Amino acid sequence: MKGLALPLAGGALLALAALALLSALQPPVAATRLEQAAALSAQLRCPDCAGLSVAESSSGSAQAIRNEVDGLLAAGQTPDQVRQHFVDRYGEWILLSPRAPIAWLLPVVLLVVAGLGLGAWLLRARRGKASPPLVAAAAELQRVRDEVEALDA
Amino acid sequence: MRVLRWLILPLLVVPLSWVLLTGFSVNPNEVPSALIGKPMPSFSLTTLDGTKLDSRALRGKPVMINFWASWCPPCVAEHSVLLDAQRRLGGRLQIVGVLYQDTAADARSFLATHGDPGYASLQDDDSRLALDFGVSGPPETYFVDAGGMVRGKQFGPLSAAALREQLARIGVSDS
Repeated sequence: MKGLALPLAGGALLALAALALLSALQPPVAATRLEQAAALSAQLRCPDCAGLSVAESSSGSAQAIRNEVDGLLAAGQTPDQVRQHFVDRYGEWILLSPRAPIAWLLPVVLLVVAGLGLGAWLLRARRGKASPPLVAAAAELQRVRDEVEALDA
Repeated sequence: MRVLRWLILPLLVVPLSWVLLTGFSVNPNEVPSALIGKPMPSFSLTTLDGTKLDSRALRGKPVMINFWASWCPPCVAEHSVLLDAQRRLGGRLQIVGVLYQDTAADARSFLATHGDPGYASLQDDDSRLALDFGVSGPPETYFVDAGGMVRGKQFGPLSAAALREQLARIGVSDS
């Protein structure tokens, strides 16, 4: 069972990488303008609501953004261009999910670093147990013997 | 490895303290402006008086664009600062109001009750200008220099001190 751990972990990593590659290579499904507008509205933050998307809110500004999204898509802009249109005005704040890769990568990097640290610590602990300091133990034994002899004398 | 043991506590405490200290001093509702350092969005809108105002007519002199609404209590709180600013600085500064999701009738009623500063207020019926400025809610005020570049944004009501600080960014001294 012990010998299986590494191949299993490696296999799992390979499978994950293959799945990520396949999903990246898959051609995007063409969405209608209505679907694109709905998807964009769900990704944009309503400016005067607490934590709601434009799609979820009935406020005047959310309605204005929905109209603007529809108008921009109708004018031939791509969803990326529409997103950028709002980022140019509101900053990245307007997007409910961050676009910066560091926001997604940081937790993974931290997990890997923590895992490596834990692994190194466990390895050190095991090595420490596996090789007791024989010379030191022998010297200690001799010291105890000497003390017992001294007591007997 | 021994050095690392000494570093563990500072490595945990310093970033955590920094996040807590800076996080608590930030207003979570305040949206930082993406327009700072960029040209003011252009517009051509009808004022409450029924005349047209084109943004090109504002070039060459500092501008203060104030988004407000009659239904917004903080707008009442800042109104005296705006009245005073127009009275004292009207010759050196152009102030323009923009109605934020409000009706012309309610806006006129507000001005009749709280005092009309005399500068134009634009009707932004489809909120297009508010979206172009990235407004998240009234009152919000943008400060534009004589070259047409946005230099400052005031989130929430203007106080006399905040006004002085923002005006300094567009080369208008208020002392």
